[in-house]
Amino acid sequence: MNRLLQQLESEHLKPSVPDFGIGDTVDVHYLIKEGDKERVQLFSGIVISFQGAGPRRSATVRRLVAGEGVERTFPLHSPRVADIQVKERGLVRRAKLFYLRGREGKATRLDPNMGAKQFPRSTKASKAGKAK
Amino acid sequence: MTGTRTLGLLGKKLGMTQIFHTDGNCIPVTVIQAGPCKVLAVKMATAAEHPEGHNKATVNLGKKRGKVARPKAADGYYAIQLGFDARPARTISQAELGNYKKAGLDHGMRFVREFRLDTKPTQKPGDDVTVAALDGVKFVDVTGVTKGRGWAGTIKRYGFSRQPTSHGNSLNHRTGGGLGRQHSISSGVPKGKRMAGHYGVEQVTMQRLEVVKVDGDRNLIYVRGAVPGHVNGYLTLKKTVKNERKVEFKPGLIVRAAAQKAAAKGGKK
Repeated sequence: MNRLLQQLESEHLKPSVPDFGIGDTVDVHYLIKEGDKERVQLFSGIVISFQGAGPRRSATVRRLVAGEGVERTFPLHSPRVADIQVKERGLVRRAKLFYLRGREGKATRLDPNMGAKQFPRSTKASKAGKAK
Repeated sequence: MTGTRTLGLLGKKLGMTQIFHTDGNCIPVTVIQAGPCKVLAVKMATAAEHPEGHNKATVNLGKKRGKVARPKAADGYYAIQLGFDARPARTISQAELGNYKKAGLDHGMRFVREFRLDTKPTQKPGDDVTVAALDGVKFVDVTGVTKGRGWAGTIKRYGFSRQPTSHGNSLNHRTGGGLGRQHSISSGVPKGKRMAGHYGVEQVTMQRLEVVKVDGDRNLIYVRGAVPGHVNGYLTLKKTVKNERKVEFKPGLIVRAAAQKAAAKGGKK
């Protein structure tokens, strides 16, 4: 990509995007308009995919509603995505968790510890957690 | 031929990205490096209109008589020749370099285009033209050369339909189909029958693209949607020839207006 364009894209980023990864269970605070009022809608589920880079970056969140799988893709730098809160970390070995689509019930759980195996994930949050 | 022809800009396609509107809508944009352009020449309808300092032409009359300065002749029309993107002097001929020297340059330009105008131009050779030239313009027409597709079939080139993959069809899935008629008084292949052939690398103008954002400091223009050609391809930008007054489509507003009309009608009845 053109260097200047890359720089322009960096100017359109949000100052900060919450730190979360694939497999994490998150609450997405999404601003929706109802008439003249704006209110926050919560969408909580497992992050199964990231796409794009820079201001085009988006995350797909999957949850089960009444036994039916629902997936929503949020552009992370959209002004309508007010906040994303991590409820639970999930350690996974894949970049895309599309295999969850074929699963139901207990099979959709993600092991927070990957059994006994621990492997480091260098995220800002995990570093902050260690510091504490 | 009406009074609509204005000075445009030359530019370069930097690429596409998306930016967010304050209301949260995501807008696909093409970023264009539009200028700074240099005025290389100014064409005047009558000879007297050439500005001072640019109204003489040097003519070489051969070895004996040498170079003679003469008054510049009329061009018969108004236009401005713009140049964009510097090009080293060593890559162009002396004859061409002479044209650039008239604009006070010691190098050439990679992309040179002329803009026809309806009124007498105020610019002089050597002036800079920046994105300010498109101040207040909401919609532009962008001209560029499309990406080359090489030898392309009728599906890609003309949007023909594909034929069935099965039901007895064999070896005729992406072919163009019948060409004409036989055994008839009007037999033969019609003139202009669309067939496979070279596609792309042609001049295309995208009309009425919305100007989303203008960055005056860096001479950048953000245009909604795609423009012809590859990244780093040269483009010509002009104020649109289409109706600029037509406001952007706003579903909310239009629905409300329609509802009010319906209410007014209902009230009368």
